[in-house]
This record gives sequence, C-alpha cells and structure tokens, in this order.
Amino acid sequence: MMFNPELAEDRKPMYRHSQSTLYKNGDNTRPISVILVSSGSRGNKLLFRYPFQRVAECTSSLAAKQRSPYALNTAGDVLEDQDGDSREQTPLTDEQLVAGFSDIILATILATKSDMCGKKFELKIDNVRFVGHPTLLQHPHIIQVSKTDPSPKREMPTMILFSVVFALRANADPSVISCMHNLSRRIAIALQHEERRCQYLTREAKLMLAVQDEITTMTETDGSPQSPFRQILPKCKLARDLKEAYDSLCTTGVVRLHINNWLEVSFCLPHKIHRTGGNHIPPEALERSLKAIRPYHALLLLDSEKALLSQLPLDCSPAMVRLIKTCSAVKNLQQLAQDADLALLQIFQIAAHLVYWGKAIIIYPLCENNVYMLSPHANICLYSPLAEQFAQQFPGHDLPSMLAKFSLPVSLAEFRNPLEAPVQEAQLIQMVVWMLQHRLLIQLHTYVCLLVPPSEDEPGLRDEDPPLAARVGGRSLSTPSALSFGSPTSSDDMTLTSPSMDNSSAELLPGGDSPLNKRMTETLLASLSEHERQVILNIPAAQSPEDLRMFARLLHYFRGHHHLEEIMYNENMRRSQLKTLFDKFRSVLVVTNHEDPIISIFQSPME
Amino acid sequence: MGMTSRIECIFFSEFHPTLGPKITYQVPEEYISRELFDTVQVYIITKPELQNKLITVTAMGKKLIGCPVCIEHKKYSRNALLFNLGLVCDAQTKTCALEPIVKKLSGYLTTLELESGFISNEESKQKLLPIMSTLLEELNATGACTLPIDESNTIHLKLIEQRKDPQIVQEYDVPVFTQSKDHFIKSQWDLTTQQILSYIDGFRHIQKISAEADVELNLVRIAVQNLLFLCLPQVLWCCNFGVHISGQKRASLRDVFQLYCGLTPGTTVRDLCSRYSQQLQRVDERRLIQFGLMKSLIRRLQKYPVKVIRDERSRPPRLYTGCHSYDEICCKTGMSYKELDERLENDPNIIVCWK
Repeated sequence: MMFNPELAEDRKPMYRHSQSTLYKNGDNTRPISVILVSSGSRGNKLLFRYPFQRVAECTSSLAAKQRSPYALNTAGDVLEDQDGDSREQTPLTDEQLVAGFSDIILATILATKSDMCGKKFELKIDNVRFVGHPTLLQHPHIIQVSKTDPSPKREMPTMILFSVVFALRANADPSVISCMHNLSRRIAIALQHEERRCQYLTREAKLMLAVQDEITTMTETDGSPQSPFRQILPKCKLARDLKEAYDSLCTTGVVRLHINNWLEVSFCLPHKIHRTGGNHIPPEALERSLKAIRPYHALLLLDSEKALLSQLPLDCSPAMVRLIKTCSAVKNLQQLAQDADLALLQIFQIAAHLVYWGKAIIIYPLCENNVYMLSPHANICLYSPLAEQFAQQFPGHDLPSMLAKFSLPVSLAEFRNPLEAPVQEAQLIQMVVWMLQHRLLIQLHTYVCLLVPPSEDEPGLRDEDPPLAARVGGRSLSTPSALSFGSPTSSDDMTLTSPSMDNSSAELLPGGDSPLNKRMTETLLASLSEHERQVILNIPAAQSPEDLRMFARLLHYFRGHHHLEEIMYNENMRRSQLKTLFDKFRSVLVVTNHEDPIISIFQSPME
Repeated sequence: MGMTSRIECIFFSEFHPTLGPKITYQVPEEYISRELFDTVQVYIITKPELQNKLITVTAMGKKLIGCPVCIEHKKYSRNALLFNLGLVCDAQTKTCALEPIVKKLSGYLTTLELESGFISNEESKQKLLPIMSTLLEELNATGACTLPIDESNTIHLKLIEQRKDPQIVQEYDVPVFTQSKDHFIKSQWDLTTQQILSYIDGFRHIQKISAEADVELNLVRIAVQNLLFLCLPQVLWCCNFGVHISGQKRASLRDVFQLYCGLTPGTTVRDLCSRYSQQLQRVDERRLIQFGLMKSLIRRLQKYPVKVIRDERSRPPRLYTGCHSYDEICCKTGMSYKELDERLENDPNIIVCWK
C-alpha cells in the first residue's frame, strides 16, 4: 500500500531549482550524501557516493589548505556547478562538509568491524553525522576447508559486510536521524536478500570497483581528474537506486526503489511530508494524534480522488480503493465505514496510513454549525503562490478576501443566503475544503468547564479545592489505543485495539421522577464538594428534576476536555438540547472556544 | 549539573610504538573493555585526515567522544606522537555540551606537550591519572573544573548548556522581565544595556525605549536580543490599554478563568473591562494579559490589511500586502492605530484579515 513518487521527468526541473536553494540553506532534514561501503577480502572499499565531488581540484585544494573546521569560507572558493552557477559564499556548504572526506578515509571509518553489524551505526565528525546499518553477509558459497583436499582454493574476492550510510548535518533532529537509519536498514535488508539469492551486491560491487580502477589508471595516464562515480551511474542499477533515494529524500521525502528490479523498498520522511508554514510536524506528535482520533472525525484527502488512485500500486488493497472512493469531507469515519462496507477498525487503519503518508488529514466533518477561523500560520500575502492557485481554482474570487471573511470566528451557517443559488453554497463548501487542505483555517469547538463561584465567607479556601478534573475520575473515554503503523520506531504491522464506542453514561430509565433516577442523580453529584452541590441545587433550573438529571449525567464532560460535538456524539443529544442546558446552568459553567487539540496539529504545527 | 551530560569515564589513549593503539589510562579503571576498544580504536587513534576533528562514535551502548592529536617530530619514535584524551557516556546521553570540553582538553595537552614534553616524558605523563580523576569528579558534580597542572599551566573547564538561537526582535515588540529586575546587577552589563534597563517595563516597545532612552534603535534591538539569548527577559507584543487600579481582594481561580475565556477573538481588552468589571475589581488586567501571553494561554490577534482591488495603472501595494501587521505599519509610518484604522476603513479596495 505504497505510493509512486512523481514521475522522474516531472521531478527533474523541480529538483534543479530546489537543489540550488537547498544547498545554500543547509536544511536539516535532507541528507548531505549517500555512501555505499563494503569490507571484505579486498579490504575496506568505498563503492559509491553521491553527490560526487564536482571538480576534483577543488577537493584536493580544500584538503591541502588544512582548514580549521570552524573557519568561514572567506577565501573566495567559489564552486561552480554543472550549469556554471557560482554559489554565494556561505560558511561551509553541505557539499564542502563531506567533500573534505576522501574516499579512502570514508571507507575506513564507515566500513566497520563485524561486531558493529546488525545495529544502528552513528558517527559524528565535527559538523557531519553519519548514520547507517552495517550488515553482515553470509556468503552461501562458504569455502569449506577440507583436510583431505590440499589443493589451493581459487581466490574469490568475498564481501564480508556492507553499509549504506547517509551523511547528515550534525544538528539534524534525532527523529530525522532515526528515519535515515530506518531507510538504511530497509535497503540493507533488500540487498542482503538479493545477495543471498543471486549475488546481486557482489556483482554490482565488482562493476563499481572496476570502473573506479579504470578511471584511476586513466587519470594517471591522462592527468585529467575525473569523478569515477559519474561513470558508474550508467552502468550500475544499484548506483542509480542510491542516487534516486538521495534525490527523493531531498525533494519529496518519498522514496520508492526496486532493488535489482525486484524487491521494493518504500519509505517516507514524515518531516518532509508533513510541513505546515515552515515547521514540520514531529512524527511522535503525529502518532499521538492518530491514536486519539474518534469515529466522529472525518478524513480529508489532500489530493483529488483521481490523482490519489493513480498513485496507488497495482497490488494495493481493494479496501483502500473503496475508502478513497467513498471518502468525503462531510462524512465521519463511522459513516464512511458503513458506506464503504468496511469495519471501523479497518477504516481507522487505512486512514492512519493515508495520514502518515501525507495524503490526507483528519478534520471534523463539515456541517453548517462548524465555526472556522483564520489560522495564525496562514499566509495571507497577496502575492503568495497559494493566492494564485486559489484564483485559478475559483475564478472570480481572490484568496485574501475569502480569508478576511474568516478573520473572526464564523460558522458556515452565517454564509447562507436564501436568495443565493444553491450552486454558490456548493462553491463555498469547495472553497472551505480547499482552505482546510491548505492549512489556512482552524476549527473552533465549544468546551465547557464547571467552576462554581467561591462562597463569600471563605474565598481563600476555595482555591485549595482540587479542580473538578482531578475529582471526577473513572469515566475516561477510551480511544483506539495501541495504534502503530509504518513509523520508524514501530514494526510495520498495524495493530489496533477496537475503538470503544461505549462511552455514553448509564442508560437512564424513563419515568421522570422515580426514586431510582433521583438516587442516580445524587450519586452523580456526590463527587462534588458540599458547597458546589449547594450552589448547583440553588439554581432555578435545578428545580426541574429532568434538567438536573441531565446536568448530573453530563457532569464528567465539564472538565474542559470534551467539546460540544463529542458530547452530542457520545450522548446522542441534539445541539439545541445541550445549548439550552448550558444556558440554564450558566452561573456555574464557563464556556470557552478553542481548537480540538487532537487534530490541531494538522492545521497549527507545534511551536 | 543535570543528568543529561553525565560522564561515565575519561580515557587517555595513544599509539604505542610497538603495541599500537592502546588505552594508557582510564578512570574508572577497566571501564572500556578490550572488545569495545578494538571496535572503536579506528576512531580514536586515527589516520592523519581525521586529526583535530571532534569524533563521537556510538558502540555497544556507549558513546565515546574524542579529538585525536598528532604531533610530528623527529624526536618521537615513528616520527610522530599520536594520542587522544576522550570521554565516555551512555549512548542515550546528549553530549553536545561535552564537545567543547574535549576540544579544549586536546588543545591543552597539545600545548603542554609542545612546551615541556608533558606526554612524551614518562614521569610527567603519570600526572595525567590524578588529573583525569579530578576532572571526572568535578565535571560530574558541578559542571566546572579548575586544575593547576604545574607552576605555569592551569586548566579551566566549564560545561555550557546549548541554547537555541534567539528570536529576532522587532521594533514593535515589547520586552518584559519575568523575574524581578532587582536581581539584576547593572554594573555587570555593557553601557547600552545599562542605559535601557530602566525603560524595560513590559509596556514600552523597542521603538519607544529607543526614543526615551536616547539610544539608537538598532542598538536597543541588539541589546534586548542579547538579553533574550541569556534567557532573561521575555519578549511580548504591543498591548494598548488603559491603566487600572488593582483591587484589594484576592482573585479566585474562577475569576481568572472567566476572564481568559472571555478573551474571545475580536474582543478588545476594553471590551473585557466593561463586560467583566466585577472580576476586574480583583484582577489587574495588565498582569493578566502579560501572564497569559507569556504562558501561551492567549495570543494577540494582529490585523493585516490587504489591497485586493486595484486598477492596472496604480502602483502595487507596498505595505498593504497581507504581510505587514498594523503594529508594523504604524511603527514604520508613524501613524497611530486610530489614524490607520480610519484611513483603511474608508478605502473600499482594502480588506483586513485578523490572525
């Protein structure tokens, strides 16, 4: 269930542009270099590295100057890339950081001893961090030493271990380092498998070393320095795969390789995929969010249905296809399960998967009572690319004007104009969906908190009472727990315990004022302090047993953690019922509006 | 000193002319096993290309941080002296703060060797062991260490916490001290900071401080940014509201909570004052706003004007692009909020976004 990255042709021009800008910035989520090393009977070898040094003279001159690692690049070393662009002087660009390491030294330090194999390898040298997963190869043709056969064995160069190493900036986020290690490990597993099956790695290594030897002899005779790795690319599929992995990590963050045209290795770098307003959503926050989603949430696809379906591999699960086809911004996950004829558990799993791969986000389903507001991180600039896209998508409308309408919280109902043609309303919905997809809007929900006014005579003591949240325990609303999916730290299976739907409080028997109901109300109110109980019971509305019963029943929601819609869903109540209740008991309730913290990370990244 | 940078072991490794790379001294003894050293020795006694680089390698649940040194001279057997004084921590430890220490130590030892042959002389080399012991003990206990080596050389080391880069301070930002200013010893600071200190009251913005203290705007900005970096004041945004006398009665949690909840989008502090006048008898709204902003309970909504309709002939908008807030525009043009408001309200081509 993985996705195709953009077609290679489309990607090239984009890569060109971003390469020049990203090189300057030293973005911490992208690798500086990918390096393949091996260790065997021929010693430690660097088989391939990418990007290769552009001009060999520059690297040797850099090394010869014996630069202090803390020196700024003030000497005017201007490197030209293939297009003749000279880069501005910046303190040690990414390339210089790794270009200073010769092939031989990299082979020595990255091809580790065998007892470091099978584990994460991490080495930091000044400003560069190398991360990999050195892997032992057990050669199937182990040459048995036979005591009865004294003839000399044929010298077959054998590879004992190899490692795919990513070089990063030393200050890269630990979760990025962890992700790179994961990718290294995945590629290693694939290579190990193919080596056992058909000696794929040995063959590719032989090719790489042969080209390197060839170029070395050529350099010695001609005197013109060349990069052997450039020549390796057209001859070695593995080299091209590694280059593609590097390029993908630098651009889209989605890697999809076919090792030996056979084994698929897929990987995504969440830091690149989940970016809002210049910040990335940390994978742990993403995971926490996905574990907390509820059946009343909805899945909003970030791409059109058609585009998404075309990205799916041929052997993808039919359930995924069904889900994508049935998905809608107005449908919650429970309805989606019914419409797509899938178990809710499965819907949760697929939804989490889509979110993880950056193809969808979680929202509250669109309805006219939803209140939206401009996100503090929204780019409202007149000349932003978003404004242009919006104008193309919705001719005749401009983004800043639309955003201005959401400057202060406004519900969709307020846009309703009975004189307008229905098609206008439909267009409004489309625009809201567009704005949500582009993280321009946040949704505000109503939360309620029980806060009884302190008694007049002992104001100080009141403050010492533990807040309601601490006292009203027990009735925790369970959420789908143990949700793990293709994240770096967990295994690739998705395990999910069933989301609990049993959240409504005890069924109350009909029949208004029965003693049973009265007792139940009393029990529910027992968790309050004497003073609080008195104040509540003195409220005029409390004289109505039904109102009081409803209040008591919903008491555990009044901690400020459950919004109106959640209470509606759990208790199967109407909005108007709840609002009336809140109004009746307003002297002890404080109402506030803010984002749903479970899904707010999709619209507002953490600072 | 926090547990985050606990040093488990300090070792001194060198290249022995006959035995090759070995650990000459380590404190505590036997901490680094033969196995571990074999695995990582290539990163400790290194090829020439890696000399003087800070190398951190993780293996067998441990992190080793070192800086290999090579001193070439004919007097040494093999014409060179290779050594490395390094630290060992648990693999989970954050070791950034230890790196400057390792670098400094390698520098000190290099100097000592060049000046008096401290390391190549077997007798003086032995002094390393008690030095390493003291280092280990004091760095773990207090994060600092001062060691006299001989009559003329003393080692000073201190663990400095890594700090994030300071935020850029704008001229419309308002700095405020989170602790009482009385703890501040004025004489320790540079002249600019001393001059502006009394103007930092949580209500004056940078531009105002510059005008009243008669210090150039950029200098004020840099001074405040410097203070920020050392985690002293915190920077907030402009608040425009009137003075209110704080009440005598102690405020309850409910009052404060209600006030914060009352700060709905679009509500000005003035509105709050009129709606919740009862609560505000017990609460100083200035402190309320300051506290709320500092603890990220509330945030201020800024207004951004955007000129959406214009005819082909007029110039493209410079300030009304949605990228500049009212605060910024007022600061740059010298207009007051009210003036800007009036001007924009009368222009049908301009819409205002709040965020």
